[in-house]
Amino acid sequence: MAGRALDVLIVEDEVLLATELEFLAQEVGYHSVGLAMSSDEAVDLAKSLHPDLALVDVHLQDGPTGVEVVRRIHDDCGCVALFMTANVKRLPDDFAGACGVIGKPYSEHGVKTALAYLAVCLEEDRAPGLPPVGLELAPAFAERWGLTETPLSA
Amino acid sequence: MTDYLKSQRAGDQLAAEHGIDDPFAAAIRATRMAMIVTDATQADNPIIFANDAFLRLTGYARSEVIGRNCRFLQGPDTSPASIAELRGAIADGDDIAMDILNYRKDGSSFWNALYLSPVRNKQGQIIYFFGSQLDVSDKKQTEQHLRETRSDLELAVEARTRELTLALEQKTALLHEVDHRVKNNLQLISSLLLLQNRREKDPALKHSLRGMLERVNAIATVHRRLFQSEDVERFDVSAFVRDLVSDMTGSANREEIRVRLDLERVDVAASKAAPLALVISELFSNALRHAFPDGRAGEISVSITRQNGDFRIEIADDGVGAVEGARTSGFGLTIVQLLCQQLKARSETTDAGPGTRVVVHLPVNGAHH
Repeated sequence: MAGRALDVLIVEDEVLLATELEFLAQEVGYHSVGLAMSSDEAVDLAKSLHPDLALVDVHLQDGPTGVEVVRRIHDDCGCVALFMTANVKRLPDDFAGACGVIGKPYSEHGVKTALAYLAVCLEEDRAPGLPPVGLELAPAFAERWGLTETPLSA
Repeated sequence: MTDYLKSQRAGDQLAAEHGIDDPFAAAIRATRMAMIVTDATQADNPIIFANDAFLRLTGYARSEVIGRNCRFLQGPDTSPASIAELRGAIADGDDIAMDILNYRKDGSSFWNALYLSPVRNKQGQIIYFFGSQLDVSDKKQTEQHLRETRSDLELAVEARTRELTLALEQKTALLHEVDHRVKNNLQLISSLLLLQNRREKDPALKHSLRGMLERVNAIATVHRRLFQSEDVERFDVSAFVRDLVSDMTGSANREEIRVRLDLERVDVAASKAAPLALVISELFSNALRHAFPDGRAGEISVSITRQNGDFRIEIADDGVGAVEGARTSGFGLTIVQLLCQQLKARSETTDAGPGTRVVVHLPVNGAHH
């Protein structure tokens, strides 16, 4: 990656998953700024740390509050969030403002490819091509990053 | 002259016209069907003849009915609509057949299948009305009972449907919950393997951990796909292979190895998905790791076709071949053999010259013949 490392906040209540995810994010050039395991922690950390990307699980320590977390950090902090959940089908149509979703269980390669791809999208505000297997973009972000019209033409 | 006497006389006159030997009159007097005749020429259309069956049905004596209009049969629960309909037919001089609730002398009610018809003289004027009555209370009761039974049944069906819908919702919620847990646990297992692999220095151990990670990933890829379609019983092998191969190839980071896919869409039972995924994963991994040593370039092809009622899964490479590549990494091969046994599948490894070709024949349903 060209510029400074992007700051990533991990919102996940399984600490082993979170730890490994932190390693994977670092391997593709992100800088991990923190780990939140509940919705309050997540919103507080997002407000104080202003991460470039928040990786958010739907099920947290205080219940299925991840969708609300994403909505709040998107609306209040202007932070870009990415869902990482086993329940891809249950996300709201607007992704609550998140840029997309990686379905669990993800693979090491899958998550690294997706995060590297998103790093380019975030830095250039434009997608370098179609999203890799395993990453689904929210319609709003696909449009923002120039993917809605004739996505196969490039 | 009183109404009674007037009607009595009219009745007598009617009877006189039909002597004792008149078979039609005799039949009407003796039949089990209740019958009356009214005089349309008199005011208020009184009864001038009633047979014994009518008296039995209504409980009145003959002297109590002669000279009276039939409306004494009506009572509090007789439908006003039916009465209006009946009056209309009489006024219009029409025939009418209807079921109407009537009352006996003792106040008990019965359903009367009434038939009323005008009798005209040669000039076409209505002079009599002929009425017949049949007690159809039993039929009415049966109908009512049927209606009640049907409505009870409908209620029961509705209640049962509600129960079943609720049970289905609960089952679906449970399925989602289990699916969610399975996926999270698979993620947890692969995170554990990755974390340990990070700390491990011994290359042999790292190699084993990588192998296990690959197997867990194969199962994880199945579970990612498993509930994506509406049909939870079937599993699309071609979509799965595309995901798996793309992930493994990307993960190997060997740009000099091309992968060619020729995948017909085939579905297997969901229960066979995981073992089949492991078999394909082992075979593909074997080719990826052993067919092209030292940065050698080449191609691996994966094809799935239907053949003679079997699924034919072929994984072929144009690499260094079985002997040179010293493949058969022991455990991986054992997994393939054991799972083929479980799947009732047959696998053949042949020299592709150059390279190696492995073909797995998987029976579509049941065992191999």
